Amino acid sequence: MIVIDKLCYQSKLRYENAGEKFAFAVLTLLICVVSRSIAVAGIVLAVTGTLTVAKGGVPVLRYLKFLTIPLAFLFLSTAAILFHISRTPMDLFAIPLGGWYLTTSMSSLHYAVQLILTALSAVSCLYFLSFTTPMTDILEVLRRLHCPKLLIELMLLIYRFIFVLLDTASAITTSQHCRLGNRDYKTALKSFGLLGSALMLRAVTRSNRLYTAMEARCYDDTIRVLSENHPPKKSVIAAIVLFDSALIALAIWSKYLI
Amino acid sequence: MSKSHFTRTEKRMIALSGALALAVGIAPIGQAMHIMEGYLPAAYCIGWGILCVPFLIAGLLSIQKTLRERRNLITLLAMSGAFIFVISSLKIPSVSGSCSHMTGTGLGAILFGPTAVSILGLIVLLFQALLLAHGGLTTLGANTFSMAIAGPFVSFGVYSLCKKCNVSKKVSVFLAAALGDLFTYCITAGQLALAHHADTTILGAFGKFLLVFAPTQLPLAIIEGLVTVLIVMGLESYAAPELRAIGYLREAE
Repeated sequence: MIVIDKLCYQSKLRYENAGEKFAFAVLTLLICVVSRSIAVAGIVLAVTGTLTVAKGGVPVLRYLKFLTIPLAFLFLSTAAILFHISRTPMDLFAIPLGGWYLTTSMSSLHYAVQLILTALSAVSCLYFLSFTTPMTDILEVLRRLHCPKLLIELMLLIYRFIFVLLDTASAITTSQHCRLGNRDYKTALKSFGLLGSALMLRAVTRSNRLYTAMEARCYDDTIRVLSENHPPKKSVIAAIVLFDSALIALAIWSKYLI
Repeated sequence: MSKSHFTRTEKRMIALSGALALAVGIAPIGQAMHIMEGYLPAAYCIGWGILCVPFLIAGLLSIQKTLRERRNLITLLAMSGAFIFVISSLKIPSVSGSCSHMTGTGLGAILFGPTAVSILGLIVLLFQALLLAHGGLTTLGANTFSMAIAGPFVSFGVYSLCKKCNVSKKVSVFLAAALGDLFTYCITAGQLALAHHADTTILGAFGKFLLVFAPTQLPLAIIEGLVTVLIVMGLESYAAPELRAIGYLREAE
């Protein structure tokens, strides 16, 4: 039901050590965001894209389609950065609107291109993590990083409940469709409200039943799950260190030496 | 720029803006107000993150206190988090035919209170980034501040204020959800303007971001308000005992 969740369980990189994948994705992401260099962004986009698609086995078209998800936000907000409305025209072009100009400067264009590339490469890092690592593995990494216990436990439970509630919601939606619950706008709104309240109602009853079940199985404030252990490989760690230090070097070089 | 160039660039501009409008029209507008991954410079990511910390600690402590008294509320709390996630991932009916989602934070604030929602919102935003590719890891701080802290606090404030002034329940729920949504939208525009104002003043950039997102966010706030009213009314008529369990009808006790 959640496509990314399904894909990451099928990924060929799923059984790599989760810590490695997490460290790679987060470090590369940080380098991208901190450096904001076009060269770094291009390389990261290519490398993480190839890793996710070729090594991880995510279908190319699917991957590209996912890359378009943030485009709406990207287009709108970059348009706001790129175009200025002012009384004086700037150097790239200017369209007169009455006494004002819709105008752009060369530096704004450069800024926008840099921003778009940085954002896309950052998204590709995020996708690398979410397309290869199931949520439970990420939670295991967070546990090792000493995230508060309560937070981890809540996340584990919420992750489980999301699927329970999505199931319920889709069943309710189907039956609303069958009963012409979306035949016009007013009915559709009303149906959505009913769906929301029915869902909440189900959620509360289910949560009570679940707590009873947990108590019956000796729940004592911690949920213990066996985690599969895939020891980190030295070669992979070396590759990650090499790649990220090369990226840092490139970022510093392109920022201060060109 | 010489005057003879105007017509040619003008034509290009029209083509470009047409393409842009088309792309924006086709692309799912979705939860356009999640700041995407990598869009904020590092300093702003850290700054907004730090700003969230006191609220999150307060939220965590309040949840811990509640759980110490009544341990069985943990599943209810988790279910509420999942509910916020699911309700914000469902398509809501919209007039324009584009698919839009509610933020669910106003509803959460009214039902569970703003402190609990800050923690639940943080988790929901993390899941949205990882599972739905809405938002991101580096922008988690900024998104948490606008959607899980600022919005819910305004919603809750408006709701409490309306209750004090004896405004009818429907109106107060509507106002709380819609104003919370609008406030989130303003905060996000402010966050973007603070980070990206290369050639203009911060205020100018703020205006531009507000303008650009207005067509999607203004109708959304109204729809969100309506839907929230419907959900709360439905809950009140069918689920009074359950509502009491989550503390929504606390004042009635």
